[in-house]
Amino acid sequence: MIPEAAKSKLIELLGNRGYLDRPEDLVLYEYDGSVDKHRPDMVVFPRSTEDVVAIVKIANEYNLPFVGRGAGTGLSGGAIPRAGGLMISFSRMNRILEIDLENERAVVEPGVVNLDISLAVQAQKYFYAPDPSSQRACTIGGNVAENAGGPHTLAYGVTTNHVMGLEAVLPDGSVITTGGKGPDCPGYDLTGLLTGSEGTMALVTKIIVRLMRQPEVVKTILAIYDSAEDAGATVAEITAQGITPVAVEMLDGVMLGMVEEATQAGYPMDAAAVLLIELEGLREAVEEQVEQIRAACTACRAREFRVAKSAEERELLWKGRKNAFGAVGRVSPFYYVQDGVVPRTQIAPTLRYIQEVSERYGLTISNIFHAGDGNMHPIILFDARKPGDLEKAQRAGEDILRFCVSVGGSITGEHGVGMEKMELMSDLFSDDSLEMIARLKRLFDPDCRLNPGKMLPTGRGCMEIRQKPLVPGSFVY
Amino acid sequence: MCEMVMRSLTPSTPEELAEGLAAAAAAGRRIRLGGAFSKSSMGGPISDADVCVSTQNLNRLRQYEPRDLTISVEAGMPWRELQNLLAENKQMLPLDPPFASQATVGGVVAANTSGPRRRQYGGVRDFVIGMTFATLEGKLIQTGGMVVKNVAGLDMGKLMIGSYGTLAAIATVNFKVIPAPARSLSFCRRFETVDEVFNARDEILRSVLQPSAIDILNPAAAERIGQEGWLLLLRAGGNAALLDRYARELSGFETIEGEAETALWQSIQEFTPAFLDDYPLGTVVRVSSSLQQMKLLAGTLSVPLVARAGTGVGYAHFTKPEEAGEWASRSKGQEWKCVIDFAPESHKEYLMLWPDPGPELATMQRIKQMFDPNNLLNKGRLHGRI
Repeated sequence: MIPEAAKSKLIELLGNRGYLDRPEDLVLYEYDGSVDKHRPDMVVFPRSTEDVVAIVKIANEYNLPFVGRGAGTGLSGGAIPRAGGLMISFSRMNRILEIDLENERAVVEPGVVNLDISLAVQAQKYFYAPDPSSQRACTIGGNVAENAGGPHTLAYGVTTNHVMGLEAVLPDGSVITTGGKGPDCPGYDLTGLLTGSEGTMALVTKIIVRLMRQPEVVKTILAIYDSAEDAGATVAEITAQGITPVAVEMLDGVMLGMVEEATQAGYPMDAAAVLLIELEGLREAVEEQVEQIRAACTACRAREFRVAKSAEERELLWKGRKNAFGAVGRVSPFYYVQDGVVPRTQIAPTLRYIQEVSERYGLTISNIFHAGDGNMHPIILFDARKPGDLEKAQRAGEDILRFCVSVGGSITGEHGVGMEKMELMSDLFSDDSLEMIARLKRLFDPDCRLNPGKMLPTGRGCMEIRQKPLVPGSFVY
Repeated sequence: MCEMVMRSLTPSTPEELAEGLAAAAAAGRRIRLGGAFSKSSMGGPISDADVCVSTQNLNRLRQYEPRDLTISVEAGMPWRELQNLLAENKQMLPLDPPFASQATVGGVVAANTSGPRRRQYGGVRDFVIGMTFATLEGKLIQTGGMVVKNVAGLDMGKLMIGSYGTLAAIATVNFKVIPAPARSLSFCRRFETVDEVFNARDEILRSVLQPSAIDILNPAAAERIGQEGWLLLLRAGGNAALLDRYARELSGFETIEGEAETALWQSIQEFTPAFLDDYPLGTVVRVSSSLQQMKLLAGTLSVPLVARAGTGVGYAHFTKPEEAGEWASRSKGQEWKCVIDFAPESHKEYLMLWPDPGPELATMQRIKQMFDPNNLLNKGRLHGRI
């Protein structure tokens, strides 16, 4: 609960339209793209860094926990207020402050939608590279918090490779700036430390991002397979040949059916798997790579190899890919997306294991993922109205992630640990390593008010929230 | 290498490294930490120490599956050995750091050194996917892993990159690696004025060309490699048709290939070490600036400047430490930042090596305090401030 005195101070600061506290409004802020839920006691909408500083100071004065939130598209519960309290929504700090093409930089506020940066510079033939599937909605602030990825990060790198500097409000209300427009700024790389800290160490209020020149040529290829393992083997073959596509996405047969029914993008309905491969660069390089990829796909028994003939055809294929989660929603009201990563040579065995898990739990599991960098997204379909089904889905997800770890991989490639995979962190890291993460968190947030109860296993974080995540939340929709 | 007068430790496993650090720290001993100590003239002054710890015997390959495009090595592995291992599999880690023939992997990472091709491929922070480091408490801390995409836990490796060993000792490093291009071709063009050379650079930046390196040398720097005027140097990798395309589009440039190309980039990569060999009082200022600011800065310098003109890092080579100090102090309050990267040991005490740290220094000091509360480890090596 927010004390009345704190509430009045916040209202005085932000005005009558600068907050939400009615239950029917708060319910919209209790979830993100994952399955966990918890309701904030109040949502506040700062318009400036000064507002954020003032909010944080009020939160400290009244000992309130607080959590930053962008668009709420996250997939690990990063923006869910586990301990209640204040939610600081950055949706009104959504200005692109500066577009500086001759320096290949933009300076943006955290509430700017990812895709809007690329749209703002596309006429000048530039783009912002990290492209999470939710890029039409998700915000840069959230991307920085989670170190977001996307299909094209295979060649261009993830968010941390494109963030040059930050302005951030620390949990004590002080403001720091890190990095700058140039690289290699003196001192420790605080920008790199804060990027991917899942909103647990600072609230980012300004971001300097790198812009890139659009490539001359883009070719999009669809390779169609009668066996998912052959598709997986192709990825290893492409790597072995030294070919460097900018994206290699895989969709399995279950997913193809759902995507095609939703989008009519031209995906085959009867295939076991497809690879969606994109090549970018100068014409001479791309033309050669198309032939190299064709050879690799053929060697791995692809039954068909199509190169998109037009921009429209290309965009339709990508629309199908990026709207895949929406397509799943049409078929199954509940689904659980995982985010394991494996070394590229382990993709085919991992697919086999996922099939076993599917059979063991009697749950349909569909695969759509960034195959090029081994980042798997098995989507587990379940029915939350059936008692025990959610728990089964969560156990299946954990089995898959443990397998990823056992073959040298990780429990999350781009979605974050959040409150969803906290307990699995012990599978990946030693106690000493987890303790070091906790100490760094406490260094920034000694009172543990910023986004508590995330990233570290229960008992290892700085504040104990002993209850399990509240699933499936207050309502079953 | 560690001097004979000091107690020296050369652990050969990460565990021994951690134990050695813990024992020294527990006894309140001041620790000098390094790999091959090839960059002792870099960073802040070398403080007196009671113990010298070198990772030179911690030099094994831990894991390398070329088809995964990842490699894991111990920190003391010679940089050259790592390059050779990758080259055998037609792969590379195109960081091009100076002192490459003596440096260790850990030293390259701890000093965050890089070179010309970072325009296309990025710097150390873009290649490190995982790390183990040993703390003064004797703990081995893991961060990241062996996959190219991984957001599990804080990215603590970022703190170690460029930390000059002031926080902990890097024990192992995991990198993502890149397939080496089939062929390489380089291009050089001479210009009369700073405006001309940077305008030509701007044209390249706006074009669809994607050179791996875009370096500018001012006339004083050009002279040191046997050239004259303002030089714009480009490098491209790929198949024959692609390189023909570069040659066509860059028709005003001289093309450089084969041994001449290797020699050219070798002289650029080792420009600073060669300069320091020639000038015992040589002092090198590293500038981080925007691409356009780099042009304005270049115009104010008559000493040799090597600018990573497509990236925003520049290295100004002064023969007089005082002049370097004066020039570096101009960065105060500016958007561009600089540090004195190399200076004679005798001058480091009074030169402001890091003139304008900004308020974030306080946060950095708290991090140092957490790792090393008694300031025992590589004291002052982070440009005299930490």
